[in-house]
Amino acid sequence: MVKTAAKTDSKTKSKKTTARDTVASAAEVPKPGYHWMNRSNQWDTRVKPGKHGLRLGDLNVGIYGEIPEQWQDQTRNPRGAIPRKGVPPLGYSIRDKADVWADSAADLYEEAIQRKWAPATDVPWGTVKPLSEPLERAICQVLTELCQYANCDVETISQWQHQMSYGYHEVKQYLATASFDAARMHEAFRKRALCNGGGLGLEGPGEVNRMILESRGGWSEAVTYLMLMRGTFTMTLLRYLEKFAYNDAEQSIYANALQAKARQMTYALEHLQYSIAHDEERKAIMATLLFIGDRIWEREMADHVLREALCIVFAGGLEKAPDQGYAIYQKMQRDFMRDYVGTCEWLGIKRDPAMLPEAMADYLEAS
Amino acid sequence: MAKFPSVVWFDAVRKVFNGDESYQGAGGGQCNCVAGMKVGNKIFILTFEGLECIDARDGKDKDLEEVDFYLDMPIADWRAMLKNIAENNRATRDCTLNTLDLDREDGLSTSRHGDQYREDLFFRYNQTFQFFFDASARVKTSY
Repeated sequence: MVKTAAKTDSKTKSKKTTARDTVASAAEVPKPGYHWMNRSNQWDTRVKPGKHGLRLGDLNVGIYGEIPEQWQDQTRNPRGAIPRKGVPPLGYSIRDKADVWADSAADLYEEAIQRKWAPATDVPWGTVKPLSEPLERAICQVLTELCQYANCDVETISQWQHQMSYGYHEVKQYLATASFDAARMHEAFRKRALCNGGGLGLEGPGEVNRMILESRGGWSEAVTYLMLMRGTFTMTLLRYLEKFAYNDAEQSIYANALQAKARQMTYALEHLQYSIAHDEERKAIMATLLFIGDRIWEREMADHVLREALCIVFAGGLEKAPDQGYAIYQKMQRDFMRDYVGTCEWLGIKRDPAMLPEAMADYLEAS
Repeated sequence: MAKFPSVVWFDAVRKVFNGDESYQGAGGGQCNCVAGMKVGNKIFILTFEGLECIDARDGKDKDLEEVDFYLDMPIADWRAMLKNIAENNRATRDCTLNTLDLDREDGLSTSRHGDQYREDLFFRYNQTFQFFFDASARVKTSY
């Protein structure tokens, strides 16, 4: 009967009859060979969950845990799988382990996945109450610039991610969470700016963002600018904003953002340490990068908008902003310089105060 | 009533902390580290594993060389922090661990090994530690 119907409409419904034909000719279905079933570099793998569950790092057993110093495969072949012949190369530019690796990447991925928060529901938005207009404007200005920082994180990580070889998947997976963390920060900062009668303020100068986004010397260079330099400052800033939060919502936002930035710092420090351990010259390269970066940093910090807004936030309003607020702002900058230079030295990168821009050297000396 | 500082007090806080699922979300969650608490001259070692604080014990000065980081304050400052938490059901912004770390000349969190990776656990798990001490609001405390 099916054949009859197909015959009747053969001219007008040739496409529709294809499926019917398939049914009709079921006997002609190619006989499966299942030859692929015997193809595995390592079969009978039985990773068991540990006391913290089945974690990404636990899977690094046997050949699946062999992470070469250089990843030769140019396709998306998962580490440990059998490569298929004829797959066109993707042109990954980052193929050396020293250019991406950090031993903690798998754990940081798990941590980021597990220690999650949802700004929509976890932030107690109801605690945000009307503030004086200057204070609300100052908070919104700071948040405007923090949104830009978060966006810079997302864009920078994303533009490097696809250049990283698939064999170092732990790093790629962690960085996916770092990008998501930044997106969530952007979300939370924007929500706070738009929920209390204020609105976004003036765009920041963006010179440091441009420096980070346009760094072309490799992922480690981007990490140096994005995480070591900007990341240390953002952490310091978030810590001060949490201390000077005006409601539980802000405190929650800054505290959660701080944890995410701390994960990013952990990755950055481990990666840079690993990178330096594999190529001593990288210390000198990083010192040069920081010498250049410091000058752009100083120029951006000279912008009065963020400084004035922070002084108002720290002082609780306009009245005490020029003295009390500014004193706290200076302490924040001193703390930043202490941590930034301290981290550089922990990595073995000597920072000569005489070679720092004047304002940075002053803050360092006073720290 | 548990007397601060003592293992009994930390155990009482552990019980509240471990039993409250709200501390496991909203920025809390799995936390794996060993943290020292230096309360004046007394030392306590807390072990966090997974979603819980699984152990609190007395420690010695040399134990501080082994922990990932430790919190160090004079006993009067610990009391002030805990009283603030008890009065407000959680730390107000002047008494959070973050604020105390910022306000103290040598910080609140420190280590003897100088390994920044381990020291930074204080920041990576900061909400968990804050939740832990906030849980003390539900422990009747004597000093």
